[in-house]
Amino acid sequence: MKRRTLLGLAAAAIIVAAAPASAASLAEIQAAGKIRIAVVPGVPLFAFVDANLNLTGSDVEISRLIAKDLGVEIEFVEIANAARVPTIQAGTADILVGNLAITPQRQEVIDFTVPYSTLDIIVGAPERYGITGYESLEGQRVGVTRATVNDTLITEHSPNAEQVRFEDDATLITALASKQLDIVSTQGAVLAAINERRADDPLEVSFVQQSLDLGIALPKGQPELLAWLNDWVKKNFADGTLPKLFESFHGRELPADLVDRVH
Amino acid sequence: MTYQLDFTSLGAYWPQFLAGALTTLQFTLYATALGLVIGIVGAIARGSHVGWLRLVAGIYVEVVRNTPFLIQIFFLFFGLASLGLRMPIFVAAVLAMVINVGAYSTEIVRAGIESVHPSQIEAAESLGLSRFQIYRDIILKPALERVYPSLTSQFTLMMLMSSVTSQVSAEELTGAANNIQSVTFRSMETYLIVGLLYLLLTLLLKAGFWGLGQVLFPRRRRLGTVL
Repeated sequence: MKRRTLLGLAAAAIIVAAAPASAASLAEIQAAGKIRIAVVPGVPLFAFVDANLNLTGSDVEISRLIAKDLGVEIEFVEIANAARVPTIQAGTADILVGNLAITPQRQEVIDFTVPYSTLDIIVGAPERYGITGYESLEGQRVGVTRATVNDTLITEHSPNAEQVRFEDDATLITALASKQLDIVSTQGAVLAAINERRADDPLEVSFVQQSLDLGIALPKGQPELLAWLNDWVKKNFADGTLPKLFESFHGRELPADLVDRVH
Repeated sequence: MTYQLDFTSLGAYWPQFLAGALTTLQFTLYATALGLVIGIVGAIARGSHVGWLRLVAGIYVEVVRNTPFLIQIFFLFFGLASLGLRMPIFVAAVLAMVINVGAYSTEIVRAGIESVHPSQIEAAESLGLSRFQIYRDIILKPALERVYPSLTSQFTLMMLMSSVTSQVSAEELTGAANNIQSVTFRSMETYLIVGLLYLLLTLLLKAGFWGLGQVLFPRRRRLGTVL
């Protein structure tokens, strides 16, 4: 008898523990008064911890605005880069504002809003390496953050480059700063963060790989939430809130046609 | 809870899974061989009559056993590179594993050595055996035979712990899984497969250690009794 009760309790505990894992719909988020937004700390300018140990960055502040306009509280789900798509697939967060580029492969498994920010991805190296394009990366050790478009592009265009993959931008920066590596495929803000830490042998932008449009990610099958977010991005883009917020962190303007770009 | 398992999209990635598993196995074999040597040397040093030797071995064991493996490998890979000592990830990963497992082995082998009764050593001395002979035949052989099961489980743990080295870009089994997962987005299936591969590697390792035990300890093989 006692044993059966225990088993029942254990089963109940598992069910209770599993329950919040599924993503909430717009109505459920509003009813609960709380939205779980996944962000990726450790990405300069997008999401990072400032000198006062507060989480900030353009992605973080956009998340806060979304929660405020939804009229709900925010719960940040802090994840690593490679966990971005799985987190949304598994529903451990309701949405992701994590500098995630909109790609056809990702669109097959999760939904994206219209673009809300952009990101230039580049290859950086000290001048002496003479890197000018994908061909000159062959045979070189190139640092990337796992599960990024950078990773995919290098694999595709420089199959003989030795890719050195790290779990997040923070570790990648450490690898470059400690001179474990000299060549990197990343984004401008990360390159600046690297150069702050290796002033004696700075990296230069060797070439621009691609300009990416970033979307807010959410699980498939949430049409109301997607529509609300799309409206929110368009409205805040039109009235200048979003471009101003982005510029305050990144020091560059967003393209004027951004939210109309079709993916 | 409507997740549909789909393994078909992972079929194309089996060479990566295999390469990852082989790297993990390589890491483990190097770490086991070198870790065992360090363990034996360390254990002898810890029981030595020379004060500073005992101190050095003691500090090594305490520092390594009381700090996380991840911190140790970050220190080796990033910390030493900052000082100008660059090493390939393979070397850094194996070195970190050897240092780590060496400290644990030291304690295990020491326990084995301490289990040898002093009267055995006295008997060996009165029979006129040399110091080297005493260490080799009277102390180390029975000591290792006695702690062999603990040693093998420590090395098996080491293999599982090698997954941490993916954090500093080692492309072992976990690193390979993270890559595959990020391309296919089939995370559940990828980690199921990898879990299974680790299980297979563990069984393989166990079988290997059993075979090695049969060769190394003829007494046990012939008598089938514990020491």
